[in-house]
Amino acid sequence: MKKARIDFHIHSCLSPCASLEMSPRAIAAQAKKLGLDCIALTDHCCAENLPAFHDACREVHLPCLHGMEVCSEEEVHVLCLFDQLDPALEFGRMTYDSLQNFPNNPERFGDQPIVSVEGNILDFAEKLLIGSTSISFFDLVPMALDAGALCIPSHIDRDYYGALAHLGFLPDLPYSAVEVVARSVPEAAAGWPLVRFSDAHCLNHLGRRYTELMVDEFTVPSLYAAFAEQLRTEK
Amino acid sequence: MKTSELEKLGFECLQNQFEDVEIAGGYTSDLLSDVMANLAEHQVLITIQAHKNTVAVASLADAAAIVFCHGRKATADVVSAAAQEGIALFSSPDNQYNTTCRVAKFLGA
Repeated sequence: MKKARIDFHIHSCLSPCASLEMSPRAIAAQAKKLGLDCIALTDHCCAENLPAFHDACREVHLPCLHGMEVCSEEEVHVLCLFDQLDPALEFGRMTYDSLQNFPNNPERFGDQPIVSVEGNILDFAEKLLIGSTSISFFDLVPMALDAGALCIPSHIDRDYYGALAHLGFLPDLPYSAVEVVARSVPEAAAGWPLVRFSDAHCLNHLGRRYTELMVDEFTVPSLYAAFAEQLRTEK
Repeated sequence: MKTSELEKLGFECLQNQFEDVEIAGGYTSDLLSDVMANLAEHQVLITIQAHKNTVAVASLADAAAIVFCHGRKATADVVSAAAQEGIALFSSPDNQYNTTCRVAKFLGA
């Protein structure tokens, strides 16, 4: 078992709020350069850049997870992370289908390109990805866990799109971990493993926050166990 | 009532590059999916959601202005997004209810 640096909250050019420089290959190269040991791509409610991300990480021998950041009906963001590509794509299509049907306006919000590993544009996501799904937070968490994902509520201590801001509290659900932004730990997060990730929307934000974890392999069961172990030893 | 007149209601103007249109009513909500579905053209959006996506959602409806409640201020990226879209930004010291009442009274609603 070794100590690994992980960052499981990264947006690619597919997310309208992210920079177009965030191609899967650029993300993988930058993460490698920064010495991260495992990363995950987590675009908003859409998994379609995961195949290119998978290939880009493989090219540089960087372990990765396949994720997405799903926006619940209450506008709480949740990281759903898979260790296999196919179930991630399936879950991503389900969340995209349940996204509000508001078309993106590229002139206003920028393009939402689905790209190949070479960075060629294959297609564009049509729905505006900053919208919310029709899935309640209380349903989303068990759905993600049942699908075999790690389920981590995003930036719970942020003023917007976090559980504390939008729900008023952190419901007692079996999260794999919870993501916090601030150095100080909110009282509401006591009892869950804590993680800090970059939430990078541009290349120079990669590595600004990461988590160190003792883990033997980057699979969902091993990471789940490692998060739990870290919580136990920190107590 | 014109957009610029919102300042008369005791709101602080945070972004003043906007077209001074006649305000066509208001919409009060903190859930952006709800705002996306229901905010109408030239309305004023009253909310506590003082971030960039609020501007994006308001721009979809071609809203006249956004009023952030509880004295919430806008960060530089929010101000610049609103300037680009020509949406006025104001900060109200009041909560959503009282802010809505002030606007409604002024609009004679």
